[in-house]
Amino acid sequence: MSEASLQQQIPTREAASVRGRSSRSVRHYDGAVWAPVTIGWRYRELILAVLRRQLADRFSGSLFGWGWAIAAPLITLAIYTVTFASALRLPIASARGGTMNYALSTFAGLIIFNLCAELCYRAPLLLHEHSSYIKTSIFPSETLAWTAVLRSLTYAGISLAVMLVFELAINWTLPVTVLLLPFLVIPMTLLLLGFVWCLSALGAFTRDIAYLMITIVPLLMFATPVFYRIADIPPTFRALEYLNPMAVEIDMARNILIDGVLPPLWLYAAFVGTALVVCRGGYAVFERYKGILVDVI
Amino acid sequence: MSSETMPSDIAIRCAGLGKAYQLYAKRTDRLKQVAFGGFRRFYQEYWVLRDIDLDVARGECVGIIGPNGAGKTTLLQLLCGITRPTCGELQVNGRIAPILALGSGFVGDMSGRDNVLIAGAILGLRRAEIAQRLPAIGEFAGIGPFLDQPVRLYSSGMRARLAFSICAHADADIMLVDEALAVGDAVFREKCLRFMEAFRRVGTLVVVSHEGDQIAALCDRVVWVDDGRIRAVGETADMLSLYRDATRQDEDDGSRFRFDSAAHAPPS
Repeated sequence: MSEASLQQQIPTREAASVRGRSSRSVRHYDGAVWAPVTIGWRYRELILAVLRRQLADRFSGSLFGWGWAIAAPLITLAIYTVTFASALRLPIASARGGTMNYALSTFAGLIIFNLCAELCYRAPLLLHEHSSYIKTSIFPSETLAWTAVLRSLTYAGISLAVMLVFELAINWTLPVTVLLLPFLVIPMTLLLLGFVWCLSALGAFTRDIAYLMITIVPLLMFATPVFYRIADIPPTFRALEYLNPMAVEIDMARNILIDGVLPPLWLYAAFVGTALVVCRGGYAVFERYKGILVDVI
Repeated sequence: MSSETMPSDIAIRCAGLGKAYQLYAKRTDRLKQVAFGGFRRFYQEYWVLRDIDLDVARGECVGIIGPNGAGKTTLLQLLCGITRPTCGELQVNGRIAPILALGSGFVGDMSGRDNVLIAGAILGLRRAEIAQRLPAIGEFAGIGPFLDQPVRLYSSGMRARLAFSICAHADADIMLVDEALAVGDAVFREKCLRFMEAFRRVGTLVVVSHEGDQIAALCDRVVWVDDGRIRAVGETADMLSLYRDATRQDEDDGSRFRFDSAAHAPPS
């Protein structure tokens, strides 16, 4: 069996545009460097249709609807504020801005941590969850990572909006750097996509990945500066925190959302670089196993 | 690597197409294969299909017949890209609407309407296009007010009706139909046959069936698949009579499902 005979022919553009339309539903095996993004664009209609459906599913079944999405973060934030204002002694670096700001900073950390944790739990089961689509229709399974990430980002976005309103209420102002948020969200999205592609492909082969996530994600919470700041930990361990992309993201988010300062440029550059590599790598893993995924789930 | 464009009057071209499934003794072997696949093989190969050479011309209607387990459905799955071929070349020219395992791709808790929105998007329709066609889809399916009920309340016939109706409105160039009409009643079957008859004038059709009559009415050519290979290809009437003669002699003993039968062993 030669290498040449192993590859599937992709219809060319001329051949594909029968009756003046490009053949969108024929599967493409896209090996380009920017493939993770282009598939998101190519299947945008499908991704949005599934996303819309899932969001409606989560909220339209309940009496309160979208009210829950706002109520849950609001309650969390209220409890933090009360607890921290009355009971706890705060870590030094975090305490500088006062109790209210500590609650905000913790909440910012939690939004990002929950975003990542939710995806870590869901990703290994993602393909099983949608197995009926994958097995019986020409559903492009690589779009599921996009749907899952966009869904989680939507929830995080709601929490973030609550947080910003709260910040505005206590400080009567928001730092201008809040406007830079998209520059954090975009690399974060790519990073998460990469992880979800990788985890979902491996999770299709074995349930162990899902169990592994349930075990390590709660532990990760302690290794991630949710209730403290990177500056609170001894310099010897600080370098370790910088290896945790979640920690870096949280730190940078606090910089622009609360402190009103720019994160160090080298840190941001390193983060973007990591995100690009993880995204492309995760997609490559998924692509490698995509053809046999349908046979194993 | 042969990347020459195929003639534009060919809709589907298979050359030396083969598909092997990996059979694992234990679930954990699967993970071992992922981790250490470079060093050892943890599975047994089961060749469901091999040496499939088939050209389907644009506007042609090809029927596929063969016993259970012959590889008919796998062939359709390869054609629409659900699963990747293990070896060989496959070119597909145009937009595909596969009607496989009718209606099992629906999500039970979602209403028929919502399922149509998703299924339409899978087939490559835009949101506005689907919205515009929804009334027609509902009408063709003929399930009335059930369109707004969860699909889990549907009978299998109703699911099949809806699934066929979506694909019928997907503007496909190539339709792949897998024993689609087996669960439909006579009236709906008649409607589908009429649709496929009309579709043939603009598109390409590949139909898998056990029922000779259905194929006889539609197909220009019939491919007889047996034990994962093409046993014969020819005129519809000839192939059907050949197939009937052959099946009358065979005993239904299930020997073809054995893993170790020579027919499914790896090619030497």
